[in-house]
Amino acid sequence: MRIMRHGLALVLMVVLNLAAPAARADAAAAEEVLRTWLRLTLELVRHTPTYTPPVASRTFAYVGITAFESVASGSDQLQSLAGQLNGLTVLPKREVGQAYDEALVLHVALGAVVTDLFANTGPTGQRALAAVTEQMRADVVADLPADVVERSDALGAALAGHILAWAATDGGAVIDTMGFPAEYVLIDGPGHWVPTNLVRLQQTPLLPGWGTNRPFAMPAGTTCSLPPPPDYSEEPGSEFYAQAQEVIDFKAGLTPEQTAIARFWADDAMLSMTPPGHWVAIAMQVMDRDQAPLETRVEVLAQLGIAVADGFIGCWQAKFDYNLLRPITYIRRVMDPKWEPLLLTPPFPEYPSGHSVQSAAAAVVLTAYFGADFAFDDESRSEDGLPPRSFPSFWAAAEEAALSRLYGGIHFRAAIDLGLDQGRCIGAYAAALQTRNQ
Amino acid sequence: MTRIFALLAGFCASSLSAQDMPAMPVYVEETATAGIDSIYAGDWQYMVGGGVAAFDCNGDFKADLFFAGGEAVAQFYVNQSNVAGPLQFARVDSGLEVDAATGAYPLDADSDGITDLVVLRVGENLIMRGLGDCRFERANEAWGFDGGDGWSTAFSAMWEDGAIWPTLAVGNYIDRTEEAFPWGSCTDNWLHRGGAQGFEAPLPLTPSFCALSMLFTDWNRSGTPSLRVSNDREYYKGGQEQMWRLEHGVAPALLTAAEGWKPLRIWGMGIASYDIDYNGYPEYFLTSMADNKLQRLVTETLPLPAFADVAFSLGVTAHRPYIGENARPSTAWHAQFEDVNNDGFADLFVVKGNVDQMPDFAAEDPNNLLLGRPDGTYAEAGSLAGVASTLIGRGGAVADFNLDGWLDIVVVNRRVPAQIWRNTGASGGHWLGLALSQPAPNTAAIGAWIEVRRGDVVMRREIAVGGGHASGQAGWWHFGLGDLTEAEVRVIWPDGTEGAWEMLDADGFFSLSRGQAAQSN
Repeated sequence: MRIMRHGLALVLMVVLNLAAPAARADAAAAEEVLRTWLRLTLELVRHTPTYTPPVASRTFAYVGITAFESVASGSDQLQSLAGQLNGLTVLPKREVGQAYDEALVLHVALGAVVTDLFANTGPTGQRALAAVTEQMRADVVADLPADVVERSDALGAALAGHILAWAATDGGAVIDTMGFPAEYVLIDGPGHWVPTNLVRLQQTPLLPGWGTNRPFAMPAGTTCSLPPPPDYSEEPGSEFYAQAQEVIDFKAGLTPEQTAIARFWADDAMLSMTPPGHWVAIAMQVMDRDQAPLETRVEVLAQLGIAVADGFIGCWQAKFDYNLLRPITYIRRVMDPKWEPLLLTPPFPEYPSGHSVQSAAAAVVLTAYFGADFAFDDESRSEDGLPPRSFPSFWAAAEEAALSRLYGGIHFRAAIDLGLDQGRCIGAYAAALQTRNQ
Repeated sequence: MTRIFALLAGFCASSLSAQDMPAMPVYVEETATAGIDSIYAGDWQYMVGGGVAAFDCNGDFKADLFFAGGEAVAQFYVNQSNVAGPLQFARVDSGLEVDAATGAYPLDADSDGITDLVVLRVGENLIMRGLGDCRFERANEAWGFDGGDGWSTAFSAMWEDGAIWPTLAVGNYIDRTEEAFPWGSCTDNWLHRGGAQGFEAPLPLTPSFCALSMLFTDWNRSGTPSLRVSNDREYYKGGQEQMWRLEHGVAPALLTAAEGWKPLRIWGMGIASYDIDYNGYPEYFLTSMADNKLQRLVTETLPLPAFADVAFSLGVTAHRPYIGENARPSTAWHAQFEDVNNDGFADLFVVKGNVDQMPDFAAEDPNNLLLGRPDGTYAEAGSLAGVASTLIGRGGAVADFNLDGWLDIVVVNRRVPAQIWRNTGASGGHWLGLALSQPAPNTAAIGAWIEVRRGDVVMRREIAVGGGHASGQAGWWHFGLGDLTEAEVRVIWPDGTEGAWEMLDADGFFSLSRGQAAQSN
């Protein structure tokens, strides 16, 4: 199977037959390289067992940064993120006056980073990585002078090596036992998290230390800290009880539209591209639709990846700080022992809602690029049999994603509302990065 | 109260006091001396499959063995074991020496009294007619069986009401031509319905979600089996576990959410079925990665097809290795309920093995032997019983190869030779070996139920072709009796006719022929 097929064939036709400007053809080929690696990354996130949402967010950040730095290294418009991101030092540069192939630099760099970050994927993922690496390379290097190939290979590999060395020190590089620690001490007290399902591996919470990882753009995991959730109480009339009642009421009165919303944004690990992948897929769709230039594509992917990755770090820091129980636990204990939520309850503490935090962070970045009233359709769940949804803006999508957790019965209202607040705060750090030369 | 979850290797069903442990069977590995040297070979297209078929092909009542070889040629071995003696097999040319085989299931498709064999393959599936004396010939054309060109990984068969020929269900995996983006490329499963002279053209069972195990089973005791399909979530999009309703002469229909079917999405790899709680309905053990399910029908809500997962409470999650230092999760394939210690409680054997160098899963992943206890829970005994192999297992069979009343075990391994263990017995424990027959069609009475009274419970098992992981069996159906020296037995035949209860002496093999008294063998 040819990976680039129509896209690259068209590019080559343009180059060879129509004598279009070489730079434009280079960009188109590079865009196809970028599109293919992102597509594969989204698949591997779904099909690699350690890829829970926090882990996926980290990978989207590094993949986006790799793409950005690869393009920025040859662009007079883009400014490197070195010195702006925590711990990222100056990256390898191009030799002045020498020719490079943009598509090959990008292919080599992305190939090395994606292959490394998914080194633990299964045999089918490994086969796919090899196929994409080999087949796309064959397409990209065709007719390139040998010296250009050599220089581009070297630069791509050097950029990837630099980024991977940086990634190795962030605290999130090693995931054991699918992210569920073999030992974990549950916190005393009726308001604290306890396991919510019958999966033996998930009797400990997912990645309890993730909040201490080195963030990308925000100074620390605690930078956008949250006020506590409502005081725990089992008293009818208390705020906490009222929140649980709201969850029950929503479940009891779910409309078909609310059910569709809950399922559209469910984004379960191993069964979807995960919540951060969902936002990457949205970005890819709108940039393909609007034929965004390569520079914009890599800027958006880098800043979006950073936003969702920092979102999960900040969110996880708060989750394990407050360690709040899930609605299913409270409702069954206090209100209705047979209550069932619409969605599967994720195996970690409740407050704040991860989807809310990272969706808001993503909306901050995408709104900064495309505007506050940017309407779009999201078809990213079509392969799973879920119809597309239309949104008048990124914030409308983010707010719907957040509210979907209430419809799904897996979060209380405070986790959603304050989660969106935390995401706004975190997303602002990503959006504030300087990606263009002044 | 602060609770510490110590989920290190070794903490699972195995943490028991001595008095909780059922009688321990003693298995002796006889791989080196049994004469079996089959390897399931091959790379990506053989990461799943690796089945073995156990059935008697020469009328000596001992189970002979067919091994799928993957890229290597399949091997067939005739059982030459002496009764109660060491296991001994001899490889013979049988006509089954085909390549690209992933698994196999025996059945008497043409109802001539000689067992045939369906061979699943990467490529064209084969139905091999049994000629007697362990010789087989291709019968695809003669019986109108379209073997297709897929990556076949699951199988089940039954006779629909009034049918002369069986209905075969074939489960297929992903589109093997997809190299870079194979996810979401699950190919159609096929239903080959029995016609007047053989098989009708296959019907696609759409949607299909990369089946790795199938089982025709009468889950609600309606008298009409449905097709349970366990699917690998690694490759489907929008998929789930499935149950197809099959009514004679009517197009198959999936049980839906509106009918009460609840979505379950696992790396489904194998199905084992048994009525372990004696309520008349079978439970289903579904193998997967890092987590295995044991589904119990919620009888209070019948006719809804609602199942509760009782794996955790009964101690059969088998989610991590129980020996060694590795806390990484397990990968489970073939599973089979059988009473290996003859105490009257069904036990569960699970074959384990890493998919292929997946570092997040245990590389040394011992097979499980979970012994059933009187309270319904299970105790891990794989290591103590001697079957805790950490080779890369796939298919398997639990069967009495030397006809001593103690069930032996064979396991197919990927890239290394298969292994075989002889059960040398446990303390006490009586047993029965039962074989069914009825006039053609469906000579082996597939779809029947055998019931055996033990005290105030009725042990029962459904006679089926299918399930497990690419591995099928035919022949003796085994019941452990505990301390009973005789037991009442009856058969509910596939058409629902209830046979008479008969008292049979323990520790013997009996042929139960429809309309006749049991015959001791």
